[in-house]
Amino acid sequence: MSLRDNAIVAYAETKVMEKSDRDVWVLAGEILEELLDKSGVDKDEIDGLVMAGLTGTGAANPFWAQTTADVLGLELGFCEQVHTGGCSAAGCVARAAAAIDYGMCDVAFLLFADTHVLEDRTDHSHSYRREWTDPYGLMGPPGAFGLLSRRYEALYGLDYRMLGKLAVTQRNHALLNENACDKLRVPITIADYMNSRMIADPIRLLDCVMRADGAAGLLMMSRKRAKEKGLAKCIIPIGYAERTNFKGGQNLVDVTKCGHEICGKKALGDAGLGIKDVASFHPYDDFIIAVMLQFEAFGFCKAGEGVHFIRDHDFSFDGDLPVNTGGGQISAGQAACSSHNLVEAVRQLRGEAGRRQVKNTRNALVTGIGWINYGRNWGSSAALVLVPE
Amino acid sequence: MADNPGGNALNDTLGIKRAIKHFDFSEPYWEGTKQKKLVIQRCKATGKYQHFPRPVSIFTGRRRDIEWCEVSGEGVVFSYTITHRGPPPFRGAEPYAVVSVTLDVGVNFIANIVDCSADELKVGLKVKPYWHPLGDGTHLFMFQPDREAA
Repeated sequence: MSLRDNAIVAYAETKVMEKSDRDVWVLAGEILEELLDKSGVDKDEIDGLVMAGLTGTGAANPFWAQTTADVLGLELGFCEQVHTGGCSAAGCVARAAAAIDYGMCDVAFLLFADTHVLEDRTDHSHSYRREWTDPYGLMGPPGAFGLLSRRYEALYGLDYRMLGKLAVTQRNHALLNENACDKLRVPITIADYMNSRMIADPIRLLDCVMRADGAAGLLMMSRKRAKEKGLAKCIIPIGYAERTNFKGGQNLVDVTKCGHEICGKKALGDAGLGIKDVASFHPYDDFIIAVMLQFEAFGFCKAGEGVHFIRDHDFSFDGDLPVNTGGGQISAGQAACSSHNLVEAVRQLRGEAGRRQVKNTRNALVTGIGWINYGRNWGSSAALVLVPE
Repeated sequence: MADNPGGNALNDTLGIKRAIKHFDFSEPYWEGTKQKKLVIQRCKATGKYQHFPRPVSIFTGRRRDIEWCEVSGEGVVFSYTITHRGPPPFRGAEPYAVVSVTLDVGVNFIANIVDCSADELKVGLKVKPYWHPLGDGTHLFMFQPDREAA
């Protein structure tokens, strides 16, 4: 048994909301209902619950996954909450597969539900922030990405208009995505990007994600079981890797480098793919420059050549390398435990993306970025390669 | 506002009220600041420095390898960001700079910089310590341009 012996058999997603009008467990219930309806799986077949730990609403409850299982009436052989920040959604796929392989569960419900705008219980106080960045007014992730961007600019030069091009492409995708947050579904231009107000110079407003509420979910089981049940259009994970605290045992690191260098090689290697084989790319996007840094880290281009790579390629859904075809988090809203790029990849590979459907559905590369550590790049990196059955 | 040579003045943030809760394993650092001494962790086994303070050496994983050493606090700007939208205690004090400085002992230290305009602030700028009293006997370590070294 291995990762690729498992299948994603259904996906579900709510619309992204600026602020949820209903409780997080109502959203969870809607996702469960949609997954059961779409797959024809009986509720009592679900014996695994794998939840992303990237939740503001559940952050203060140490029993979040168990409480959620109780609320939804699920009896489980495997109950798990994955704590790799923005890598959690992709990480849930790998952990669910491992649990199925090991025999801890047969049918896993992957749940990404959060209402961190409506109710945020996040508490960073037991972290480096209280002594080492809060006293200096470093503004969380935008501040850290400001430091990262300025360092990149000093090393390589940085044409911000090319970051603007990425922002515009993602926004155009959100315009085609009914589930994207309505507030963000307005067209922008590169000039709008350049003129958007500075938050943490050189990070502009249109570089940043906007927190939003919503939920998504996946249903997973072994390929064998999916076949026996006659489930069609299954999506198979064929490569996965994650790296937390990249170069954590070093005292001075190049902040323009990240753990995706390692994850990309392993995930693509396990998938038997080269970087030029990637049919669509669904990178985690908390800031626009993170997408460019991932082009470099995965080897789409060399270090320092991200701007040229952006200039030379069309990242639209019908371009030569489709990127974040649902709008990414930056233009759809940072909701559902940051799972939307994963769910979008599943949707695309099933050929169900409607007006924004990509032509090449041979595979999709999904990534995660999680947490911000002190004076480094980011805390966790993940890469997941998906293919249709 | 400090007297800023050059254009594009920045707030030096000295008027911000700061109440800092220390981790117990950071106390030797804060003790040092009472005498305006920058005392950071060094690994006895490898001779390397680390910042921020940890309960173990990040190089060996051993608690017993930690020692505290006074360092100069001089260094070179590794990167910086100019904050235009600060967290609540800093709201209204924007724009102000947060710099990451590579100290001469090979660690990066994130702090504010005083007496420095946006025009003067560059990656590679030489800086030296500036100690800001916090009112409880400790000082907040900050940077200022080292114009004599430049």
